[in-house]
Amino acid sequence: MKSLHLVRFSLFIVLYLSLSPVRANGEEPFRPQIGVFPPVDKAHCFRGELTFVDHANRRGSVRVAGSGMFFRNSPHPFAMLPYGITRYHGAPADLRDIPLGTVLHFKGYLPTDPNTSVVPVFPVDNKSKDANHNRGTGIFPAENHIILAEDEPSFCLSNDLVWELGKLQIQNGKGSLTAKRRPKDIASSKEIKEELMTFDAGTRIWRGRELLTVDELIEEGVWPASGGKSLDSQTVLLGISWKPTPNGIFTRFHVSDIWLDEQAIQRATRKQTEVHKEFIRTRWMPGWIDTVEYGKFGQATVTATLFGGMAPSLYADFKEGVSARINPVAETLRHSHGAYGPSHMACRGPILSVKKLSGEIPVGSSGIQIRFETDLITEGLRPGRIVRIWPGTWPAVNVPREEYINDSLEERFPPPTIFPNYR
Amino acid sequence: MQRSTGFCFLLIFWLTSLQTTLTLSGAEPFRPKAGEFPPIEKAHSYRGELTFVDHANRRGSLRVEGSGVFRKNDPHPFAMLPYGIVRYHNATADLRDIPLGTVMHVKAFLPPDPKISAVPVLPVDNKNRDANHNRGKGIFPAENHVLLLEDEPSYCLRNGLAWQLKQLTIANSQGTIVAQRTTPNGLMTSDEETLTFNGATRIWRGRELLHVTDIVEEGLWPAAGDKSLEDFKVLLGITWKPTTGNIFTQFHISDIWLDDTSIQRASRIQNETHKSHIRSRWMPAQVDTVEYGKFGRATVTATLFGGMAPTLYQDFKKGKAAMMASSENTLKHWAGGSAGTSQMACRGTIQKVSKQDAPPTLGSSGIQITFETDLITEGLRPSRVIRIRPSHWPDVQVPREEYLLDRKATDKQRFPTPDIFPSY
Repeated sequence: MKSLHLVRFSLFIVLYLSLSPVRANGEEPFRPQIGVFPPVDKAHCFRGELTFVDHANRRGSVRVAGSGMFFRNSPHPFAMLPYGITRYHGAPADLRDIPLGTVLHFKGYLPTDPNTSVVPVFPVDNKSKDANHNRGTGIFPAENHIILAEDEPSFCLSNDLVWELGKLQIQNGKGSLTAKRRPKDIASSKEIKEELMTFDAGTRIWRGRELLTVDELIEEGVWPASGGKSLDSQTVLLGISWKPTPNGIFTRFHVSDIWLDEQAIQRATRKQTEVHKEFIRTRWMPGWIDTVEYGKFGQATVTATLFGGMAPSLYADFKEGVSARINPVAETLRHSHGAYGPSHMACRGPILSVKKLSGEIPVGSSGIQIRFETDLITEGLRPGRIVRIWPGTWPAVNVPREEYINDSLEERFPPPTIFPNYR
Repeated sequence: MQRSTGFCFLLIFWLTSLQTTLTLSGAEPFRPKAGEFPPIEKAHSYRGELTFVDHANRRGSLRVEGSGVFRKNDPHPFAMLPYGIVRYHNATADLRDIPLGTVMHVKAFLPPDPKISAVPVLPVDNKNRDANHNRGKGIFPAENHVLLLEDEPSYCLRNGLAWQLKQLTIANSQGTIVAQRTTPNGLMTSDEETLTFNGATRIWRGRELLHVTDIVEEGLWPAAGDKSLEDFKVLLGITWKPTTGNIFTQFHISDIWLDDTSIQRASRIQNETHKSHIRSRWMPAQVDTVEYGKFGRATVTATLFGGMAPTLYQDFKKGKAAMMASSENTLKHWAGGSAGTSQMACRGTIQKVSKQDAPPTLGSSGIQITFETDLITEGLRPSRVIRIRPSHWPDVQVPREEYLLDRKATDKQRFPTPDIFPSY
């Protein structure tokens, strides 16, 4: 009987230690704090295939690349931090802009407050645990609150990288190619690992204004119709996705797009920038409240920092003297009180000043702080809280139903009720 | 007095409830039957914006266009029928290929079996009910089991239509275009619509992808002001964006295809994407008959589902080795372990391939195969959904969310599960 108690006690200790948020060295694991942009060097980096998107709540699932069999990895839920940045084709994006299947690079943290996480919370050391069934470690990281999610060309452009093409193998319009990701201005070296990736007749090849297919590269004599060919270390940018692979291969990615020249990627960037500019103008600029100085009879002066990663022309619309509106939003950036449009319950008033902060600007912040005066402050505008701001010249539109909260924070899209439990 | 009022309320309630199961004529409302492809003319047609996709379970949500304020319409869940066809850029597609925001044309039915619907079941006359709050009628149709889901260019090309461009108004690379759908004979099939466009609208010409600024630079469109577009015929990709000025519904042009070459190229890329998808996920079909032999031997006749690229069907040849595996109505594989679909699939030879003379009903390919196996499994029963792999298609393992795992798997095992939405 005594030994049974001992076993139970030992099991309790083991369970407690495994779930404890405190590291073995006694140090608290890093979590972002409300009102502070976390240092990007404390983020956990991983990459994976976007498998599910709930764009209205800025969350989704990703099949994380680990050391094991990629196809076996269950999609792992993630949530964008309120100031988290998504980038696609070298431009800011919303999750809805990214095609399912795209391989993304992530920088993520533990949830700021596990009690209010909109995705499952995992043990803090989950990234180091073997997920078994030949899936290896790292595929279910607890760091699922994302500050930066970017597709392959965005990752390369922001880090001054290119893909150097090695050897092509082709037959019937599909095949494989080897490539190395290397710094743009540094010659290739043997230390950089070569990757083997597949391509097929659905792969898009961008050259200047043109969209080419594999068949057309063959017709032009650039690629052979079949067999192998050296691609002479040609540097390109690649769009990467994943498709099931034969022969028991653990992980092999697929080339969805090839940008052959700078003009081609610049045009893709320009197009995505326009998509996102229009998106932000209709959904308002996200930011957070730094300080509130309360006056009399509801008057207040609010200081807010605009979130980062947007097109510069959007920030340029925030000018001293401009009449603006500020609306409280959820951590998912969903508007509150939207049935009559975000303007209905927003605080109104002029922008008193616009200040560009000096020094190194952390990822997530624009480094731009505005001071705004309103004659009727509302409850949602408190230091650390998330808001959206409309600078007067943007179109006054109403957002669609799934993008605003009508009654309670419990309202989600899609709600669990769309999944009926039958039998 | 109180009792008679109560009785009246009870009677009204009973009559309303009755209406939900029976149409006014007293006939049972039409529902597709297991093992039969439903006639397209019995489908309910509507269009709406794709707002959510759960591609692994072939379902999603659409903001359905009604008579009211479009933006207020909650996304309405739909499920693809097992033989339901998705088309994008005039080629067959999977739901994962369609960008969120795309406006789709829908032909749909009531759930074949409401008890196992993968999306909410609504009263049968729901399409005629006013959804209130200025949303009007038709936005939550009970006909949410979809036979055909197609984007605007696919819809136009299937029906021999094009968009005739009439008037352009532009400033700062954005503006509106007045356009109307027309037949080749110039017969207008819709009212004139005012659609918006912006700097992100893609304009396809031959091999080229142009921006609005390129068209302005070339002098085809003015930089600002109005211009008649002289009934120029194009194909349009249509999405929706929030609109100013309390407009109830105004759609947005995501793409313009200026010539045949450009849309043919778009179709080709989508076609190749889908061919690769089907080769790795196997051809879906339904079992027509099973003739049982001895010691597990059986001859199975199955009809291949329709809408695929012809080259995929050509891979089904008499004498070819093949595999046949049971599948869910969502077309999810049953992996019987994590070693892949092949592990538990029936193996055998295609004995016969027959093609019906009459044009097939939508959903069917009109191609029937007879397959002999020496070990029939439980999932292969008449009217059940299966997937078939001719032996020269790649033998790959599908990703985790696309298969049910083992005996523990139930129809509750879905992705995403409600568990990923914690209630705090």
